[in-house]
Amino acid sequence: MHIPDAFIPIWQGAIYWIIALVFIALALRWARNDMNEEKLPLVAVLAAGIFALQSFNLPVSMGTSGHLVGGALAAIILGSPFAAVFILTLVLIVQAVLFGDGGITVLGANIINMGVIGGFVGFYTFKGLISATKSMPVSVFFAAWLACLIPALACAVEMFLAGTFPLTEGLVAMGIYHAIIGVIEGFVTIAVIYLVTSVRPDLVDTGVKATAGA
Amino acid sequence: MIEELFQIERDAYKDSIIHRIDARVKIAIAFAAIIALVAVPYSTMIYTVGVIFFFFFCILWTCTRLSFGTFLRRVLAIVPLWGVIIFFQIFLKNKYYTEYDVLFSLPFGISIYAQSIEFAFILLVKFIICISFIILLSSTTKMHDMLEGAARMGLPAEFALALGMMIRYLFVFGYMFRKINETLQTRCFDAFDHRLPYPYRLRQLGYTLGTMFIRSYEQGERVYTSMLCRGYGRDSYLFVERKPLKGGEWAFLFISMVFIIAVPLAVWLSSFRLL
Repeated sequence: MHIPDAFIPIWQGAIYWIIALVFIALALRWARNDMNEEKLPLVAVLAAGIFALQSFNLPVSMGTSGHLVGGALAAIILGSPFAAVFILTLVLIVQAVLFGDGGITVLGANIINMGVIGGFVGFYTFKGLISATKSMPVSVFFAAWLACLIPALACAVEMFLAGTFPLTEGLVAMGIYHAIIGVIEGFVTIAVIYLVTSVRPDLVDTGVKATAGA
Repeated sequence: MIEELFQIERDAYKDSIIHRIDARVKIAIAFAAIIALVAVPYSTMIYTVGVIFFFFFCILWTCTRLSFGTFLRRVLAIVPLWGVIIFFQIFLKNKYYTEYDVLFSLPFGISIYAQSIEFAFILLVKFIICISFIILLSSTTKMHDMLEGAARMGLPAEFALALGMMIRYLFVFGYMFRKINETLQTRCFDAFDHRLPYPYRLRQLGYTLGTMFIRSYEQGERVYTSMLCRGYGRDSYLFVERKPLKGGEWAFLFISMVFIIAVPLAVWLSSFRLL
């Protein structure tokens, strides 16, 4: 899902950068207001943690593998979609600049996909489902699954607009692949949040604590 | 990717004329080269620009005194996934060509087009040379120097502070990742072993990831407590002292920028003359 340089024309990359900068500015405002002394190490650890989580290859099927995205995890633990934008921006900058995983001119598009779409979809799906179902596992699972699937579909649309991959084939390939990875992301996110809420409930502040055992 | 972290930092700690250049100069040159390459239209003009840029990259890489094997290993770690997508281009039509000539017809109505092969090569050249400049930047610049350089170039303080701490924790996670992987191996656990039930494998991976997160957070908490003891406060920001570029660095930056801008422009203008 990390689009590299050259796969999106420079002018489209610039548009994605402008949109991403708006959300980055809002995420910075969140950081100035909400990232206090207690949250800063959590943000940094979560960013490094998501980086590490993305390094774990998970088995999908037929010998293929995928990795987690982590947008929903960040948004749920820190209780804000802007936290996911902030954290995923850090992760994507490090991945692009140090490892060449994702491009520089397309960093805006990657932030929109994994940070903005992943964070907002993950957070609001979780908020909606937890109030409706009162079940942490169900809410976290669907939040993480959608936060993996929707950014992948957005990535396919961006590649189509760039003229580097046809729409139908892109949506089908990315959709099927990430729908499967999303299931794994859902289960693994449940396990991570369950473990974190059991061992360190003070780290999670989105109401998961109360329903952790559900 | 996390396994590469230690090797990249080891390379960055070596010494050469390129390693000693200020991080801001290297960031500016690498980003400018990538922007220039991406800005070149999807046309065969990229072959000329690509060869000249790659020659420029090779000169810089030779000055780093790092082996070309190191470069190739890093390229091979990045290319596979997107290499497959570039390969698939040969079967696809896109909006950049109006006419397509079929080179080979395969079963199930699949065809390989001459123009699609050309487009795949264009993408490949752009992609490889863009990541070459990123590899050059990260292999010759320590993470901390890169962060300081970015802060001096105007990276917001909140990002600089969080990035600084994140980089520190990356290595903690790196060690945790190694330790946990070794532990799983000693217990003969293989996530890809089909004899194990799938839910069991996922549960084990979930607990592993959660354990890694909690252990790293607690390590981070200890570091943070020591920071508080040393006077860290809510309004503390990463202190970056002013550091003007030296004359040689300005000259290198100026010549490189002129080169990066002039080459695509000259190739573009010469294409009109040829017509």
